[in-house]
Amino acid sequence: MSIAAVGITKRFGPFTALDNIDLSIPSGELVALLGPSGSGKTTLLRIIAGLEFADSGTVRFDGSDITDQSARERRVGFVFQHYALFRHMTVFENIAFGLRVRPRKLRPAKNEIERRVKDLLSLIQLENLAHRYPAQLSGGQRQRVALARALAVEPSVLLLDEPFGALDAKVRVELRRWLRQLHDEIHITSVFVTHDQEEALEVADRVVVMNQGHIEQVGSPDEVYNCPATPFVYRFLGNVNLFHGRIDEGQTYLHDAVDPGRAASHNGSKTVYVRPHWLEIRRQPNDENHFRATIKHINSAGPVVKVEAVSEWGSPVHIELSQERFRDLQLTRNEAVFVTPKEVKVFDADPAA
Amino acid sequence: MATTLTLRNPGTLLPGTVAATTEGPLVRWLLTGIAALFLGLFLLLPLTMVFASALAKGLTVYVESLREPDALAAIRLTLLAAAIAVPANVVFGVAAAWAIGKFDFFGKSLLITLIDLPFAVSPVVSGLIYVLLFGLQGVLGPWLAAHDIKIIFAVPGIVLATIFVTFPFVARELIPLIQAQGSEEEEAALTLGASGWRTFFHVTLPNVKWGLLYGVILCNARAMGEFGAVSVVSGHIRGRTNTMPLHIEILYNEYQFVPAFAVASLLALLALLTLFVKSFIEWRSKQQLAELEAATAEKGPS
Repeated sequence: MSIAAVGITKRFGPFTALDNIDLSIPSGELVALLGPSGSGKTTLLRIIAGLEFADSGTVRFDGSDITDQSARERRVGFVFQHYALFRHMTVFENIAFGLRVRPRKLRPAKNEIERRVKDLLSLIQLENLAHRYPAQLSGGQRQRVALARALAVEPSVLLLDEPFGALDAKVRVELRRWLRQLHDEIHITSVFVTHDQEEALEVADRVVVMNQGHIEQVGSPDEVYNCPATPFVYRFLGNVNLFHGRIDEGQTYLHDAVDPGRAASHNGSKTVYVRPHWLEIRRQPNDENHFRATIKHINSAGPVVKVEAVSEWGSPVHIELSQERFRDLQLTRNEAVFVTPKEVKVFDADPAA
Repeated sequence: MATTLTLRNPGTLLPGTVAATTEGPLVRWLLTGIAALFLGLFLLLPLTMVFASALAKGLTVYVESLREPDALAAIRLTLLAAAIAVPANVVFGVAAAWAIGKFDFFGKSLLITLIDLPFAVSPVVSGLIYVLLFGLQGVLGPWLAAHDIKIIFAVPGIVLATIFVTFPFVARELIPLIQAQGSEEEEAALTLGASGWRTFFHVTLPNVKWGLLYGVILCNARAMGEFGAVSVVSGHIRGRTNTMPLHIEILYNEYQFVPAFAVASLLALLALLTLFVKSFIEWRSKQQLAELEAATAEKGPS
């Protein structure tokens, strides 16, 4: 079922959580709402679910207006960050709840409910924990139960609010891969909220990057990562070095100090963004495209070596290089090196940055 | 060298270690002794005296004193007042706690303050309020007299006064509990298609049942034991408007010690039963709270 949000605005007192948001989600997609806290992503999800109501705008499921329908009528599956399992009910009862509360006419027979719950239990691979209480489960198990409970009512869409936010790092990665596989199997239109760019890029078909109640960009993980539409998207989707520079006669200058001879640019000042892995460290200066830096700190634990340096004009620079390259270079602290940006992204100077 | 870390409660110590905050044995025994002495002198001794005096002339006299018509009437009236006051306050308390815990509305803090009012004012004043309202010289007195409705010096007055005095118990017990639990589970029930009533009876209520029971127990104990407010509105008509506490006082003033203590022993038994049930419920809800905390701790930073 496709979801459309048109002109959604929501205020909490003086704070505008969502400012005239337009978003459409095609049927069967797995979409991530990505943004920092306060960006309005959870509010948008709750408005789609009917747990919150917009001040203006409409929500449509498959083209029909459901703005005034309550959460009860919308038939959405909602998964909460803190699971919100019914703590006095067993896993089985939790999953069966949505079926058991149906009006008598629509309620499946008792053995039918039992069969459905058992199917879901095997889907979430917790068959033998059916009679445990939520308190006796681990965080990852609880979240899977919450997911099964939401799926039990055969919802038209599945909405997940920071579903992995409360889990520890390892379980989080496992569970999100599992969610991806699950979605590939059942193809239910799903929207999940996250502040973790890695999670969004890995799991989602499409990523909606949100900031301060606005949508900054909608696109595939590849698009938003490699062709960020705004400086915010670039900054938010990974570590970044930021330089105040300018463009002059088609040349990009990272810092005035690189080329002190020239006067203030007539092309206006720019902000130059470089990802840490697009900075290359060299011992020797190559042609003109480099700046000098002093290495301050080296962290070689992990798949990439992270180097913190200070540029010749005194600003900190983060550089990432492969372990292999690091071994070749034999870098040490307080060493002076040459840094070459391999790929940069230039935006108009951002006053907020 | 490999080290094994064993997790333990912060309160317990490994054998042989001494916590920095502990005192020497002398101080410990002295403090414990003083506490025990106080308990014995001011709580245990009087309680034993109640039962001893009640049974001073043997079991037959004890039973006779309780079977006397006025005593029976007092017991009945006390039970009646509690039977009306407790359910009324359960309904009110749950409704108020639900409203305060789940919603934000204008005048919320005023409502919380008002709920505490019966605790703040003296029971005598509570009784007087009703006399001033419904008494013959009161605001509504002439109208009530004209329609032949008796509230003051009659059963309705006693029930009203009891409700007023026991008003806060259930609500105060539930408000922090419902506030702490938030509304996520209710939202989950809602998205699963449950109606409001269904959600209330199957999700909200089971989560607060021990707190509710605790409030009911305290409310009931106070409803049966209330003296001041009831004394003002009752009029002390023997066999008709005397509750157990009032009956005891009258008997005592007439130097009928054995019957007085016999009835008193019933109230004391009720108190003991209440304490027993209360500590059982406390134990249960502490267990539940620990589970809740364990669950919260696992949530980690959000």
